[in-house]
Amino acid sequence: MNRQGESGGIVRRLWARNLLIWAALLALLLLSLVVAYVPMGRMTTASGIIIAGVKSTLVVLLFMQLASAKPLIRIAAISGLVFVIAMFALTFADVLVRI
Amino acid sequence: MSDESALLREPWLDFGRQREAGKFGIWVFLASETLFFGALMLTYTVCRIEHPEAFAAAGRETNIWYGTINTAVLLTSSLTMAMASQASETPARLRRLVLVCLMLTALLGLAFIVIKGFEYKEDIDKQLVPGAGFALSLPGAQLFYGFYWLVTGVHAIHLSIGIALVSRLFWVLLRHQLPAKDNPEIEVTALYWHLVDIVWIFLYPLIYLPGRAS
Repeated sequence: MNRQGESGGIVRRLWARNLLIWAALLALLLLSLVVAYVPMGRMTTASGIIIAGVKSTLVVLLFMQLASAKPLIRIAAISGLVFVIAMFALTFADVLVRI
Repeated sequence: MSDESALLREPWLDFGRQREAGKFGIWVFLASETLFFGALMLTYTVCRIEHPEAFAAAGRETNIWYGTINTAVLLTSSLTMAMASQASETPARLRRLVLVCLMLTALLGLAFIVIKGFEYKEDIDKQLVPGAGFALSLPGAQLFYGFYWLVTGVHAIHLSIGIALVSRLFWVLLRHQLPAKDNPEIEVTALYWHLVDIVWIFLYPLIYLPGRAS
């Protein structure tokens, strides 16, 4: 009985934590939908991308548990991001100066 | 036989190391996937910089409701996947919760594919497939839809692989072929699933939101 009560507590804590993250993700989805209809020029486009960035940060750090991962795992995860940034930066260095 | 010895595979002598290696391996794979989808999104960005009006006009033609509902479906599937993964790692034995969450994840993935199918049908009816008879006249709109079909198709393939992996996991756990507790396969599958979700999180503003304010 005691063990059952203990596992019930664990399940409740798991749901409480993850439902909170899920609610934040859905709220951000709704926010990006609303903001897309506000005419702010380039800021409208930028806000969509920034909100996507915030949403994926929540997923990576909390659902994928990178926030509590060991350094080796963090290096592997960040390496992908570093190379994507390099790819975008080098391409923009060419494309943006031609316009 | 303990859970750990049932899960231990060659060449590892120690379950802890096997777990770490599996996790490291999937993260390296996910980093390469980030580059793969990053390259596609970079191509989109360069084309959009060159054809801003055409991309706004093409973006307006996408069905924002299908896109938004599907994003919510995938975000919810990430919730159930995270629950399955975290429940398997707790000291308590939560086999039933793991099984239910895995089943929900696979079903939500299938729901995404079905909704996408309805959307594809509508796109084809509206003649939004690049080539002869394409609906939009602005040069550059075909580039947008070239990206749309390519990237949503590749994403759907990734998601289908995810559904197959989650369904297999559900089946072997249901038949007691492997223990649910501390099973590293759940964590590794979950990490892959979340990446497929993240790709869609970025595709949503790129595909569905351009041109809505103008």
